[in-house]
This record gives sequence, C-alpha cells and structure tokens, in this order.
Amino acid sequence: MTRSVPLARRNLFQDPRRAALAVAGVAVSLVLVLVLDGVFAGAVRQVTAYLRNVPADLIVSQQGVRTMHMSASALPDGSIERVRGISGVAWVEGIRFTTATVRAGAGRQLSYVIGYDTDTGRGGPSSVANGASPGPGQAVIDEVAADELGIGVGDKIRVLGRPFTVSGLSEGGTSITNTTTFIRNADFAEVRGPSLSYLLLGTEPGVKVTGVARRLEREISDVTVQSKEEFVEQEGLIMKDMSADIMQIMSIIAFAIALAVVALTLFTATLSKLREYAVVKALGAPSSRLARTLLVQATWSVMLALILAVALSFAAAALVAAITPNVLLRIETVAIARVAVAALVVGTLGALVPLRRIVRLDPASAFQT
Amino acid sequence: MLVLVLDGLWEGVRTRASIYPDEVGADLFVAQRGVANFLGETSSLSRSVVSEVRATPGVRFADPVRGQFVVFELHGKKIASYVVGYVPGRHGGPWTLDAGRRPRADDEVVIDRALARRHGLEPGEVVEIVGTRFRVVGLADASAVMTGFVFVTHSAADTLFRTPGTTSYVLVGASNAPAVQDRLENHGLTVFSRDQLAANDRKLYTGIFGSALKLMVGVAFIAGSLVVALTVYASVADRRREFGIVKAMGATGRTIAAIVVRQALALTALGLIVGMALYLAVRALLAQIRPEFTVVLTNAGLLRAIGAAIVMALVAAVVPARRVAAAEPAAVYREV
Repeated sequence: MTRSVPLARRNLFQDPRRAALAVAGVAVSLVLVLVLDGVFAGAVRQVTAYLRNVPADLIVSQQGVRTMHMSASALPDGSIERVRGISGVAWVEGIRFTTATVRAGAGRQLSYVIGYDTDTGRGGPSSVANGASPGPGQAVIDEVAADELGIGVGDKIRVLGRPFTVSGLSEGGTSITNTTTFIRNADFAEVRGPSLSYLLLGTEPGVKVTGVARRLEREISDVTVQSKEEFVEQEGLIMKDMSADIMQIMSIIAFAIALAVVALTLFTATLSKLREYAVVKALGAPSSRLARTLLVQATWSVMLALILAVALSFAAAALVAAITPNVLLRIETVAIARVAVAALVVGTLGALVPLRRIVRLDPASAFQT
Repeated sequence: MLVLVLDGLWEGVRTRASIYPDEVGADLFVAQRGVANFLGETSSLSRSVVSEVRATPGVRFADPVRGQFVVFELHGKKIASYVVGYVPGRHGGPWTLDAGRRPRADDEVVIDRALARRHGLEPGEVVEIVGTRFRVVGLADASAVMTGFVFVTHSAADTLFRTPGTTSYVLVGASNAPAVQDRLENHGLTVFSRDQLAANDRKLYTGIFGSALKLMVGVAFIAGSLVVALTVYASVADRRREFGIVKAMGATGRTIAAIVVRQALALTALGLIVGMALYLAVRALLAQIRPEFTVVLTNAGLLRAIGAAIVMALVAAVVPARRVAAAEPAAVYREV
C-alpha cells in the first residue's frame, strides 16, 4: 500500500519561522482590508442607528430629500395636518433636525440635534441610560459624547448657540462622524424657526403600510414618503457610495502587498528546494503534480493567513471599542467571504512565478553536484 | 508606499477641509452664535445682519452666503455635496472656473470639476438637487473632503432649503481685519478670521477621519515590517553557510547581527525608493481617476515615512538576526 507524501505542506513548514513570517505578512495585508471594511460597515450601522430605532412605519421628508445624514429637510407649512387627514394614518409626529456642535467648556462635539415631542417620546432617544427626557431648556446627550466632554446629568452645555442643562444620557447615538443630542421641539423652533424637518408616521393596525404610502404620495405632492426600511437603506447608501472608492483603492494596495508576500514566500521556498523538486521530477512526477504542490502551498499560506487575519481583526475591533467608542469596527461575514475569495486569487497568482521555474526544471539537475 | 499614500491622504484631508475659507477671499466670517465651522454645521442668520455688518467702519464688503450639505443622486449613486448659495457678482462663489461661467439665474449651477468628471457632466447638462432641476453652467476646482462644492444663487438656495429671509454666513472684507473683528464682536456677533475658521474645519475633519486613518497607518506599518522581515529572513536562510564561515573565522554574534541589520536597512532604503516611485504613480493615478481624493506629500510626511522605514527595518531584522547570531560555526563544515 502506498501513501502520498504531503510534499507541499512539508516544504512550506520545514522552516517554521519563514512560514510564520509569510503567514503573518499576508494576514496583516488582509487585516488592512477587513479593518477598513469594518470601519465603513460600522459607520453605516452607527449612522442608521437613530432611524432604525424610531417607532415609525413611514417617514415623510421634503420633496427630493431621502436621507438625514449630511442632509437638510424643510417640510411645507401644514404638512402635518394634511398627513393626519390621510386614511390609515394612526399617528403623526413632527421632528426638527439640524447638524450643530455641542459645547461644554473647551470641548466640542459635532452632533445631530433633534427636536421632538417629549409628551409622546416618539422621535426621541430610544433609551435613556441615566436621567430623564428633556424639559424646557434641557437636553439629552449621548453617554459617549458626555464622556468625551467630561460632563454628566445636571451640567451645562451650549447647543445652537444657547445654554441647555443635561437632563439625561442616551445610548448608541455616537458615530465616527457625530453624536446625537435631543431637545424639546419648542426649544428647537425658538432658535431655528417653526419649520418641521421630518414627519414620523404610524399606520393603523391591519392597514398595509405600502397602501398608506401610495395614498400619501397621491394626495400630497410636495413631499417624499418612504417606509422606515427604505429610509434606513438610503441612509446606509450614503456611507457605502462615499466609501466605495477609497475601499477599492485600499483593497488593491493591500492585496498587492499580500500578492508580493505570497509570491516571495513561494519563490524563496521553491528556490531552496529546487534539487528536491528535480528529484521528484526525475522519479517520474509530471509538472502538473509539482504545480499542484505549489498551489497547495499557496492555499495553505493564504488560508492560515485568513484565519489569523480574522482573529486579528476581531481583536482590533475589541481594542478600538475600548479605546475609541465612537468608532465601531464591524467585521461582517460577507466581508470575510469577499476577502477569502480575493486571497485565494492572490495565492494562485503568487504561485505563478515559481511555477514557471518548476515547469522548466530539468530532472537531470537532480544528479548534478 | 502605503504609509506614504495614507499620510498623503491625511494631508489631503487637512488641505481640502478648509478649502472654502482658504480660497473664497474673505478676511472674516460672521456665523450664527454657537457655530464654529463652515463645513459640518448649519448656521442660520437673519439677512438683516448683512446690513449691520456693512455699516460697520472698516468693512470693505459684506456678502451673504448660504451653506448646507445635501445628498442627491447621480447615475444611481448617492452624492454628498456642499451647496453654497451666493449673490451673483458678490463674494462667496467659485474662486476659479475651469469651464463655463458663474451662475446668474436661479436654475443655474456651477459644480465641482471632480464630481463633473466622475459623472461625465458638462456645461449645458441638467442635474436634480433636492428635487429641483439645475442647468450646469460652469465647472470649478472645488473639491472638499470626499465631497464637492456646488454653487447656486442665494435665492435658489433659499427656495431649495425653504429658508427665505435668512442666510448662513456673512463674508467680510476688511483692510484691518482684527480691528473689524473686534468691532463686530462688540455688536454681539460671532466672528471668525479666515485662519480661525480654517483651523476649526481642519480640526473637525481630522477628528472624524483621524482614528480610522491612524489605525490604517498602524496596520500598514506592521505589513511593511513583515515584508522586510520575510525578505531579509529568506536571504539570511539562503546564506546560512556564508554566515557560518564568518562565524568560524571569529566574528561574534553581535557582528553578524549587525550585518543582518545593515542588510535590512539597505533593503528598506531600496524599498523606500521603489515605494516613493509607486507612491507618485498612485498619486498621479488617483488625480486622474478620483480627483476628489487629494494626496499631498509634505516634507514632514516624507520624514515620517523615512522614520517609519528605519523602524520597520530594525523591527524586521530581529527574527533573522537572532537566527544567524545563534547559528553554530560548525555548520559550515557540514554537508549542505
């Protein structure tokens, strides 16, 4: 009975230190892609956090406005009354929105400022970890921002150019770009005028949300109506579309590094074993067998590197969460799958240079001294 | 190369973050109380503030501009842009034009040339911004950070954002800016010099992108170190016998380790030269295909890259140097 020798694995791991350096080199290149992807995936998650948590079925905005992040929406006067009159609408809540800074002493945080009706609580913070909803002249700020500013409940801040007292601390409202501050609708209107930015709608039980949306679009022509899910998707697309180019550039650079590492490792490992390969060839092994050996080596290198890269990326995510809670590193399965496929392609490409050398190898060189 | 590109992107963020206050030609900027940035924040002032500023002694000009980020769609992609509304013939509009002319009517727009190039827009074409159609009449070099400026008339912006009777900022020209700033502040207005506003915008943007870019630079540094380490290690492994001879001839482990370190340094120096060439190529390529990503090389950036390369070489030399220094001189006499 014969047993095939795992030549590829043995050759690759004969020098464990070289193998470790190679795997680490490829892994770090892959970490670069995973971390960048994770930063943007995290940003999408953070940017859509407010909208995902509002209790609305439909969201109405100014005509042509489909997003909240980096956007401004001003609804026509009387929109709320017109929407209220549409059949199937159970409740309507107007919120006011702008982007401004929250100041405390010398500290500043860029923030969404949201004015909402504190009586119903709709459109306000999804959870207040500490303190209470804002009263007149009061604000709820996110706990991460409060920590950065070194303030707590009862402290003074400046928002929209006027002083507020912090009445509570909310959770999950700080992203890589900004935090979220909630004030009463009346306070917002006092500083920025009466215009409402968005309407949050709840539909009556048993009524189809799409049907209500269609009725709204038909009867009120100068607004944009979207389901909450559509709005969240549109919001996520801002980050995705803006980051697509930078992701592409960084991925190409990172994969080029990974390619260089794989090619270098396989090339040097092959060169140092040329005599052995010549012996295998002299014993009758076809070039395809040796090519397979190289491809197996490449696969081993990139798969081990991928495992290490995923582990390192999760470690980086935990570290980033501990050091800078406003940056969310979200390592998604789809990103890992994408990187795995790309890594295998890179590994195959990296095997091409030593492959040429092996295919041209003269079996007689095994007997040369 | 990666370190240089990331460093260059960082410098690009710094340069582009403050392009409006840097280039628009105003000495002072009046904003709403509590607002400290041009980009990022929304400022709202009564239009009467413009007359108040104009009446202040020492003021050469006082022109209103409305500024607001918007997100619109082109070819199915979300485009984040900063809309500037200004009074035609006054300050606040595009500082240079690459093609066409400045907007005169409320349905005309000048757009950033990088945005135009990316979406194949030419003067004469129509774009829809916040549900309103505008005809492109000119292209300007006006890219900010991952976004571009678009310029419309102030009245068009008022209609677009439903904010009649207000403006966002007042741009002020003054021969003695500090004195005028004092006078305006004494009237209770919030006033920034060009440098103050530019510094605030740079701080805001570097704060947003800082953590992520620093993380990326850290990973790039580790990747670079590992590539150098692998190369040096492979080279050392191939010359085990030669190192054995040197050791057999009486060289100490420290001498041999020094050889390895020198080798790593030489390799890194070569890598730096090649990396520099690749960096210039990537920068030229980016300028062609994605001009909105500005990559700027400064002397400090170059020094940082050299410093990083030296540290990388030293870190990379540790594993191979330890291996060679620990090698037995007798290895030279063995059959290889």
